[in-house]
Amino acid sequence: MPRAVVRPKAVGLLLSLAGTALLGWRVDDFSSSIEESVMFWLFAATAIVSAILMITNRNPVYSALWFAVVTLSVCGLFLLQFAPFLAAATIVVYAGAIVVTFVFVIMLAQQSGATTYDQRSRQPLVATIAAFVLLATIVGTLQYASESSRGSSNLEEGRPQVAAADAANPFSQVAANESLGHMRALGRSLFGDYLFAVELAGTLLLVATIGAIAIAPRRRRGTL
Amino acid sequence: MTGDVERYLVVGALLFVLGALGFITRRNLIVLMLSAEMMLHGVSLTLVAFSRVHHNLEGQAFTIFMLTVAACEAGLALALTLALYQKSNSLDIELWTDLREADLPPPMLADDAKQPPFVPPGPMSFPQLTPAGHAPDIRRAIESGLVDDAGSPTDESPTESPKPSDVIKTANRY
Repeated sequence: MPRAVVRPKAVGLLLSLAGTALLGWRVDDFSSSIEESVMFWLFAATAIVSAILMITNRNPVYSALWFAVVTLSVCGLFLLQFAPFLAAATIVVYAGAIVVTFVFVIMLAQQSGATTYDQRSRQPLVATIAAFVLLATIVGTLQYASESSRGSSNLEEGRPQVAAADAANPFSQVAANESLGHMRALGRSLFGDYLFAVELAGTLLLVATIGAIAIAPRRRRGTL
Repeated sequence: MTGDVERYLVVGALLFVLGALGFITRRNLIVLMLSAEMMLHGVSLTLVAFSRVHHNLEGQAFTIFMLTVAACEAGLALALTLALYQKSNSLDIELWTDLREADLPPPMLADDAKQPPFVPPGPMSFPQLTPAGHAPDIRRAIESGLVDDAGSPTDESPTESPKPSDVIKTANRY
């Protein structure tokens, strides 16, 4: 976090390396293939390092560019999880549209030189401690849920069977001759089970467009 | 905690927590919105991992709706950011703490009101050049024939010295 006194960065680097090594040793999976493990660690390390650089950079332009790197790494993780359409859509929407829009707004609204509010963050120490408490809660819950699901007996070939969801959303199931990454299956799920939600999302996009045009400051008459 | 899916969940949790940390501590409106988008990234990574666990497509379909809502949110938030910037001529979020409820105490403001702004070393602080030398005397250079009227140096010596009125007119042009 940007603060008035520049602390020695080696301490933070060593601490984060130690925490990452500890967490990685806990979550490492020796049963998956070596290629998937290598790709996972590459994308995960890029995503987390870029996220840290994004929230600690003093220049919002660099923050936007690091956010684009985070987006690309998350898309790599999507690809590893059999979601190629989501990866492509996320790259198009985030890295192609949202980041460019952010950079345009920075260009329109950025003051020249170093600004005070970018140099000083608000209560960085307390916020960091609170964030670590939140992270410990989430990871502890994950570990508890993982152990309890491994202890129970409804695991069949490594995944739990959810009977209620099968009955509720029949189009979202993967057919016998398809894999999870098939775009045909995703389209069938979207336009079968979630047809009304798709229409609602289109309406939401229209309303948001109208709202953004209404909120955006318009220039005075006669000025370019 | 060894599993193929738990590590994706851990990465999603880390992205969410880092985005929340940025949202709490940063004061630039644009960086705030970027941190919120990064929290959405963490959640969508978690949803895709759950979709893989259950081996159906509900998580991926839900992530597409999250993408839609995130695009709407980004457009609206950037329009609001531009409107707020035009009102206050600054992107500082703490200029808008007056919008809080009337019975709440004032927020913990950073102590930048009484201190000068901290300029970090690096590419954002521009160098201050010390003024050195003195301004060149153009009239004397023209009289001695080193430069012609257009200001470029002449390679041959002038055949006749220019009249003083021409020299003064030329010097006034500079």
